[in-house]
Order: sequence, then structure tokens, then C-alpha cells
Amino acid sequence: MDSKLSAEPPANGKRPPVPVKIVIAGGFGVGKTTAVSAISEIKPLTTEAAITSVAAEIDRTGEVPAKVSTTVALDFGCITIDDDLKLYLFGTPGQDRFGFMWRDLSHGALGAMVIVDARRIDDCYPAVDYFERMELPFVVAVNLFDGEMVHDLKDLRWALAIAEETPLITFDARERLSVRDALIELLKHALERATA
Amino acid sequence: MRPYLTAGDGLRSLEPDGDVVSRLRPYLLTSGRAEPVDQTLEIEAQVMTTEAGALAVQRLPFEHRDIVRLCVVSMSVAEVAARLRLHIGVARVLVADLADLGYLYVVRPSLPNSHNPNLIERVIRGLEAIR
Repeated sequence: MDSKLSAEPPANGKRPPVPVKIVIAGGFGVGKTTAVSAISEIKPLTTEAAITSVAAEIDRTGEVPAKVSTTVALDFGCITIDDDLKLYLFGTPGQDRFGFMWRDLSHGALGAMVIVDARRIDDCYPAVDYFERMELPFVVAVNLFDGEMVHDLKDLRWALAIAEETPLITFDARERLSVRDALIELLKHALERATA
Repeated sequence: MRPYLTAGDGLRSLEPDGDVVSRLRPYLLTSGRAEPVDQTLEIEAQVMTTEAGALAVQRLPFEHRDIVRLCVVSMSVAEVAARLRLHIGVARVLVADLADLGYLYVVRPSLPNSHNPNLIERVIRGLEAIR
């Protein structure tokens, strides 16, 4: 599995867990960081990302690498699943211009949760398009800011034009158990796809 | 008049103004390389200091030393970047280099496994245990 990166395991007999990940996507201010904070066992961290993957993509096309100076913030948190498994949640901006980051993040992900603010649903279109194209299992989770839905889910499903089997749910990004249930919904969907 | 009294401004300008570290170009720490030895190292890959790493810590350059000290507890490449305030691409390069030297032990995700029903079920059970 790990080619030349393998060294002797630590002498104390403790081995690091195997990491798995879920991508949390959506427009600015829809509650990605809030959702990660609600369920992460560490205080969510922020790091700058993406320069290298952009450069790599340009190299492959054989073009002169453009000078890339854009950095974007990547928020993430984690949950210990068991002794040998750790789940990472990576929150990423949902705009088209950050799409290059999604490729890196979705590679090997269990799935994605696309968070939507029902008052401005078009913010999530790029993410929905992307995960559909990548055939990555995803759920669309409407963050109930005020505990009230502006549209009913049927109208919303129609507006989003997502496949019938793609779960469309409501949740509260501030509530730990609500975020947990949304993630479970996503994984059950992923499981169905994996066993289909 | 004392010789350097008027040179005050000139002398001051030699001093760094403000936060020196933040003015470093991100890839200065990696000798200009933007690509890790292993270009595919995932940001969720787990990193842990080996015994060899712990023994070598005093001899390492500071940016390597910080990582080897930090990773006595295992964490992801993304956490290394965030905690040491490194650009994630820089953290990737440094971690890959240290792993190559045998100072870090790396556990990478099993990517084809992300469609494995047993794995998905395990994660579901783990989440259900959250109260």
C-alpha cells in the first residue's frame, strides 16, 4: 500500500489509524465550518491548500505553467471511528473557481455532503455538477438556519434536478446529532451504491 | 555630533519589520521544490514519528524538527500543515522527505477501499456510537 513512504513503524507498538474522508461542500456561509465544528473531536483547523494540484494539472497539459498564487482556506476536522480508523471531514468552498481542489479532496473519499441554504440554492450547483460527474456518492443537505423551510423538498429536488436516488435531507449544522445523522444518510447511500 | 545619530534611519531599515516568517516564500523551506518526493501523498495520510526520527531530532533543520516533534502523536498531513502554519503543499514535501529518511512512519488511505461495503459499514457504526 505505501511504497517508498514506508519506514519502520513506531517502536512503541502504536500504529496510526487508517484515514478515510468525507468532503463537505457548499457555497460560502452555508454552514460547512459550523457542521464540521459540531461533530469534530478536534477544534476545526484551517490550512491553505491547492497550489500544487493546480501546477500539476497545468504541467500535464504541456502548457507553460501559469503563475499560480491563489491559496484557499481548507477547514477540516476528524472523528475517531475505532482503534484503527479515523474519519476526516474536509470543508471546501463550493465555487467553480475552487473546483480544482475538489479533485484532490474527492479522490478516495467515501462520499460528499453538499450543504445548501434554501434561500440561495444556486450556490450549490457547481458542487452537485461536480460530484455527479465524478460519480461520487453525495447527499444534498439543506441547512435549516431558522428551523423553517422556504420550499418543500419536492420543489427543491425538482429545482436541483438531482437523481431520484440521491438523498435530499434537512439538517441543522449546529447540532452534533443532526450532522451525525446527515453523515450516516450519506454513508447508507454510499453503501447502497457499493453493494448494488 | 555623535557619528551614528543621523544614521538611525539607515540602521533601522536593516532590521526586519514585523513578522519575518510570514514573508518567506512558501517553498523556500523545501529548497524550491513544489512537488514531494512522492507526489501522491494524500492530505489525510497519517504521520507518526519513528524511533529513528526521535533520535535524530536534534540534528534536523528546524522545519523538519518541528514536524518530528509534533508527530509523536499520529496526525494527518493536513493537521501538520495547520498546526505548524505551513502551506499544505509545503507540509506534503517535508513529510514525504522525512518519511524517505525513515524518520516518519506514514499510513496512507486505501483508496480503492472507499467503495468497500465493510469499510463503509464500520464508519456508519462508528458514527452511530456518537451521542
